[in-house]
Amino acid sequence: MPSSRMRTAAGRIVRNEGHGEIFYRLEVALPEPVEFVPGQFAMVSGWPGNDPLLPRPLAIFRSAAGPKGKSSVEFVYKVVGRGTALLSGLHPGDPLSLTLPLGRGFDLGKEGRLYWLVGGGVGFSSVFPAAAALARRRAEFEMFLGSRTRDQLPPKEWTPGGSAPGRIHLCTEDGTSGFFGRVTDAVRERMGSLSASEASRLTILSCGPTEMLKGLALAAADRGVEMQAALESHMACGFGVCWGCVVALREDGKISYRRVCREGPVFDAREVVW
Amino acid sequence: MKPDLSVTLGSLRLRNPVMSASGTFGYGLEFAPFYDISRLGAIVVKGLSLAPTPGNPPGRIVETASGMLNAIGLQNIGVERFIEDVAPRLADAGATFAANIYGRTVEEYEEVARRLSGLPSLAAIEVNASCPNVKEGGIAFGSSPEGISRLTGRVRNATDKPLWVKLSPNVSDIGSVALAAEGAGADAVSLVNTLVGMAVDHRTRRPKLSNVTGGLSGPAIKPVALRMVWEVCRRVKIPVIGIGGIQTAADALEFLLVGASAVQVGTANFRNPGVCVEILEGIEAFLREERMSGLGEYRGKLVL
Repeated sequence: MPSSRMRTAAGRIVRNEGHGEIFYRLEVALPEPVEFVPGQFAMVSGWPGNDPLLPRPLAIFRSAAGPKGKSSVEFVYKVVGRGTALLSGLHPGDPLSLTLPLGRGFDLGKEGRLYWLVGGGVGFSSVFPAAAALARRRAEFEMFLGSRTRDQLPPKEWTPGGSAPGRIHLCTEDGTSGFFGRVTDAVRERMGSLSASEASRLTILSCGPTEMLKGLALAAADRGVEMQAALESHMACGFGVCWGCVVALREDGKISYRRVCREGPVFDAREVVW
Repeated sequence: MKPDLSVTLGSLRLRNPVMSASGTFGYGLEFAPFYDISRLGAIVVKGLSLAPTPGNPPGRIVETASGMLNAIGLQNIGVERFIEDVAPRLADAGATFAANIYGRTVEEYEEVARRLSGLPSLAAIEVNASCPNVKEGGIAFGSSPEGISRLTGRVRNATDKPLWVKLSPNVSDIGSVALAAEGAGADAVSLVNTLVGMAVDHRTRRPKLSNVTGGLSGPAIKPVALRMVWEVCRRVKIPVIGIGGIQTAADALEFLLVGASAVQVGTANFRNPGVCVEILEGIEAFLREERMSGLGEYRGKLVL
């Protein structure tokens, strides 16, 4: 049985390939299958030496249960610094250390709701698993995917949902594909055509750059729309002991620092101090 | 034969010399999913203050070459909640645990120590006389022999628990500070806390930490820590707990070799949640390999 219990695992790379301009897809064989909630993540390391010292947090993209030793977990990442650059240089067969599944993922619990999934940049790596889960239960959803330019949109074949992926709005800042502008603007525009009753049924699930999330949170608040945001933060441990990754939340009128790795990474956008 | 890993710190006997370092192990229970936390020599919990503390704004950690800087700002749940909610669960788990404490004033240190003294399951109190990230985090007391002597003496009078004093490396003569702690009644000294450091972004022209400076930890500081532990071991008679960049059993053994009675593992827990137990098993394997019956045959046996 796949387990959602947090654990450390000795993985082995099955594939670690670059796609398009910037994305890598990493598949890791695990001794035991892992069950995860979309939005949950893993701490991943495997490069030799102490520099960088700390593992990297990567959203879990997919997991598959297989016969003994043949289970796997997949990630999509973008090379942003030394750690991910070293990760991208690892090969099939190389060992990888993982701690997973971590954090609190998206709340997909409510039947009868309408979902908009919004991914900016590599943020689609958190949003696609949510789309896959919603598609499985035939929930109503639309997806908004944004990037700077066409080549930085997620490869088409990675889109979940098979032949019925829901309605997808592509957005590029340079207009090379789909909506010409920021994904936030596309969402705002689409929101303008919502009736009050549709707005009250809507939940936005989002992941992407902070500026994007902030813009979405404002737009959602304007229309009284629920929104969950998956945040990123520098983390040392990923499982709640270093207290390094905190974000400021407004709870009952008071500011508190909550751990992105434990109370998050998914937060109610209305509570986040943007 | 199974080698004897137990160590003695004054009146306190620990089943082995491997402890977690305060601030890197939460309140201990967070590690229960990874292994049986009662296996550790002791768990030193995150620094506790009289009232819950919110900590510093985000921008709290940054990686540096072979290390990391942190400026958490001692965010914690406060001593009362620890006593009520956490300590009973640590005791139920069979864990040996010590409480790291700090205050804004000497009186607050005393009060936290007094409250913890009523906790039968608590093995020891570690006075944080050295957090570099908050003005009141002890650094004001910890940077001079006089300050350490006064703080240690006052907390000593407030509790009968074994008292450890955690020392700052950000001083010119750590031996004198350790001697002052010993003279004022400490049962042991633990060292080192983090080294004050800084990281800036050359493009944005801003510091990478909201607190501007932070505490450096990880393998980058091990040589400095090892030298200081060696120095202090030659100056004081009380047990010394070695801390600083320990990631492997070999690292831990090096600290024991220069005279430490026990070690604390810190930043390595972030990288590998199972590291304390791996170190523990590694030390045991080493003793077997060297055909030693216990740590006594090895501790402090540096060949000069």
